[in-house]
Amino acid sequence: MFEFFLKYPRSVYSRGQFAFLGAWPKWLLVLLIVAAAVGLAWLIRSRLAQAAPVMHSWRVWIVWSLQTLLVAILLMLLWQPAITVAELKPQQNIIAVLVDDSRSMAISEDGSTRQAQAVHALQNGVLASLNRGFQTRLYRVDAVPARIDSLNTLQPNAPSTRIGDSLKQLSEETSDLPIGAVVLLSDGDDNAGGISADAISALRARHIPVHTVGFGRERAEHDVELDDVVVAPRALADSRLAAKITFHQRGYAGAKLNLTIRDVGTGQAKTLAARTVSLGPDGNLQTETLMFDIGGAGARTLEISAAPLPGEENKANNTLTRVVNVGSEPRRILYIEGEPRWEFKFIRQAEEDDRMVRIASIVRTSENKIYRQGISNPKELATGFPSRPEDLFVYQGLIIGSVEAGYFTPAQQELIREFVDRRGGGLLMLGGQFSLADGGWNATNLTDLFPTTLPNRAGTFHREADPRNGATHTTSQLAKAGADNIITRLVDDPAANAAKWKQLPYLMDYEDPGAPKPGAAVLANMITPEGKTLPLLITENFGRGRTAIMATGGSWRWQMSSPLGDTAHDLFWQQLLRWLVSDTPGHVAASVPSQVLLDNGAIALTADVRDPQFIPARDVKVEAHILGPSGVGAVIEMAPVPDHPGQFQAAWSAPKPGAYLTEVTALRNGTELGRDVLTFQRMDGVAENFHTEQNRDLLERLATQTGGQYWKPADLGKLAASIPFSEAGVTVRETKDLWDLPLVFLVLLLLRFSEWWLRRKWGIV
Amino acid sequence: MNLVRPLLFFLTLGLFALQGFQGYGRRSYDYSSGPNVPSEFYWSRLQYTSAGGTRGFRFFGGGWSRDYPKADNDCLIALRRLTRINSPSPLNVADLDSDHLFDYPWIYAVDVHTWTFTDQEAKRLHDYLLKGGFLMVDDFHGTDDWQHFMAGMRQVLPDRPVEDLKDEDEIYHVLYDINEKFQIPSEVYVNTGRTYEKDGYVPKWRAIRSDHGRIMVAICANMHLGDAWEWADSPEYPEKFSGLAFRIVLNYITYSMTH
Repeated sequence: MFEFFLKYPRSVYSRGQFAFLGAWPKWLLVLLIVAAAVGLAWLIRSRLAQAAPVMHSWRVWIVWSLQTLLVAILLMLLWQPAITVAELKPQQNIIAVLVDDSRSMAISEDGSTRQAQAVHALQNGVLASLNRGFQTRLYRVDAVPARIDSLNTLQPNAPSTRIGDSLKQLSEETSDLPIGAVVLLSDGDDNAGGISADAISALRARHIPVHTVGFGRERAEHDVELDDVVVAPRALADSRLAAKITFHQRGYAGAKLNLTIRDVGTGQAKTLAARTVSLGPDGNLQTETLMFDIGGAGARTLEISAAPLPGEENKANNTLTRVVNVGSEPRRILYIEGEPRWEFKFIRQAEEDDRMVRIASIVRTSENKIYRQGISNPKELATGFPSRPEDLFVYQGLIIGSVEAGYFTPAQQELIREFVDRRGGGLLMLGGQFSLADGGWNATNLTDLFPTTLPNRAGTFHREADPRNGATHTTSQLAKAGADNIITRLVDDPAANAAKWKQLPYLMDYEDPGAPKPGAAVLANMITPEGKTLPLLITENFGRGRTAIMATGGSWRWQMSSPLGDTAHDLFWQQLLRWLVSDTPGHVAASVPSQVLLDNGAIALTADVRDPQFIPARDVKVEAHILGPSGVGAVIEMAPVPDHPGQFQAAWSAPKPGAYLTEVTALRNGTELGRDVLTFQRMDGVAENFHTEQNRDLLERLATQTGGQYWKPADLGKLAASIPFSEAGVTVRETKDLWDLPLVFLVLLLLRFSEWWLRRKWGIV
Repeated sequence: MNLVRPLLFFLTLGLFALQGFQGYGRRSYDYSSGPNVPSEFYWSRLQYTSAGGTRGFRFFGGGWSRDYPKADNDCLIALRRLTRINSPSPLNVADLDSDHLFDYPWIYAVDVHTWTFTDQEAKRLHDYLLKGGFLMVDDFHGTDDWQHFMAGMRQVLPDRPVEDLKDEDEIYHVLYDINEKFQIPSEVYVNTGRTYEKDGYVPKWRAIRSDHGRIMVAICANMHLGDAWEWADSPEYPEKFSGLAFRIVLNYITYSMTH
């Protein structure tokens, strides 16, 4: 249809430049159009008096517009409009024809595989029509492009597809060849996560258009696919973790799906969690959270899977793998309390069962006495709250109970900030008669540290006014952000968990923590006796660390007033305190962008190295000791990152599939500053099982960004006609007349017809 | 003549009741009771049903209320003066028959050789202790009293061992370092010079612990700390007894709020 009206292929118009071939100056054309418009207006106005009354309105302007437009088009045709476009010289250019031979192309649809459909299309005219004007070169493409002599040698069994990398490589390898265009026949299932900007730049630099031909269904009929699983890459031993599983399905709306998490790292796989969920509408992303106990220390390989449903087309995309490094080093929290109170006792009691979190505490028992618990030696905390970074930074978490801000010196207050910001520790502020605004914390320099804007008044702390009868209850309930949070998950089932929060015994006291700041998460609320909803538990990330407010000192009633054996209180505090310290880094914090490498072993290791005061360390030797499968091992020296003190990096490639254990050590003058352990895993041939529907969006974007076009297999007959208009290779500029376009004559006729039809309708013909 | 005997009977009964209420003729004090001031800590005396004896009932004047309220009040004054524990509330009575017992993680009980429990009460006290509550018992003397006390205790905690507390135990160092302890007598000592009653010649500083080693029940047997608080302002009652009694109870309370 396009070429019927406009005579030339679409690519001529998208790549060409408009021009007038007439010798007369263009300003004359403009002048004549204006003169014609004015003249027609004068002519119409002079005859308006004799015209029918119906024309004494907006209708006259319609007539004037149609006539002016007609004259303008006729005048433009006199100036010989044309389009100039670069065109490949016949038989002097090469067209690279790339056929995807990854495993997803072996999926059979409508009686033949995707690759067979591509080969069939090429062999039935497309290749022949291309060969009439150009030389063609055939390539198979998966992780890399490889030239082939015949389409018959294609075998769709490659474990991965990297379209961007392959195109970039092709561009580099053919830099001395006149490549006029690339034709890519693929389902668009790229395992690299998209086409990189580098690849696009390489193609655009040579002006090579990529024409993409999409194969495969754009929508599966019956399939469940796991899109992502988010699990903390590190955890403390015996931690309870949350796995956020995102998936979508087609053809199973309303059905039940079994989700399971298994530990497959050990000899015998062990199921850690399982839940049945109801599936939502077709195509919608659905996220479910499963809680599980990670178990003892070591590297864990988790297999997260959705049980195959009857009639599912692709069962290989129902499983994802994640790696979790479980640490065995217990974490320490410093808890300072300004007065003996029940909350302190019951928090300590809750932590007695958690062997991975230990609390060292200071309680002001009298005006002149402090009482220390959980200390590792008699000198620890002997002089009270630490005043030196090296004394405070040995802890991973800090809890400040009912203690006035004035109890801390300005230097100690600054140290608290540095504890969070620089050291990366967790700070938890509790409600109490000397806490938050009532403790003068709203007038300190630490206000930006807190996840709320503290009230600027005192009197924000309230105790249960009628403890004998409990008539002035302050109750708690789960907030929206707490629904999927590991801290507030007291029962695995989300609905039962929300109900459990409502059933918790009332709080013995509460404190107004103020308004949550943007970026803070309110995980739980409390309802005051007056019916006001206030945030109860608020968390926020700050600097390298994290802060939280638990705006009560009366959650101990959850323990005392619940039935014996109810674990809600202890579980809540154990989870909150683990959150407080789990992500607190040591002196060396190593990381990788992704702990699962799919098909490609290239990995970038980074390490953040800090000195004893947690200041970015210089002059240190940082090494990564890597131990992999089948005896693979390497020691890599990591190089400092310019302009980023304390940051070190190294690139490495994991040669074989399997699990890799990496220990990063930092030495200064022969003394170890610290070490960190991380794990990652290379998995080959897995990514190809995912996103098996045709990724039309990717193919269209690739074509658009390179000046090519996306084609459906049914339209391939027109491909050869579009190919010549390219600026790559050996080209010549062609000028094509536009005055004789069928569309122009159609418009002229339509203008005349429209005027006639309108006049007739208005009754003036 | 017919009216004299009944009149004498009721007069005697009235005097007896009055004596009981005022602590056997001690000076009467105007104490308010009930937790009508919001506090962190409520001094809570355990109210239970006594078996037999002259005060074999659970109403005021029963064994549970011995030396109440002056002993408790003097102790509360010391607590407010010498610690940072928030305790503005007047005295409180925690009834073993009510679930509000769980709102007061510290309770003090006396005359515990007379206590009796229904199954429901025993379970409530059992749950209270295992969930984190702390019970201090005082004022019972000799072998028979111990047997009766333990009979009730075995109903509450059937299998928990009772141990003698050592001087090094944390409970004696949490607020004051108490390295020397001795028998604390009742005010009977003023007239007799005896520190013991019945056959309770040796003071027993004992405890029952939780699985984690936390002291749940602190037992002061063959002693009467309540009298030592109550008579602290008497010129005849030796200061050393009251001093130790105050230090002991403040340590026990501080321990209960930190362990």
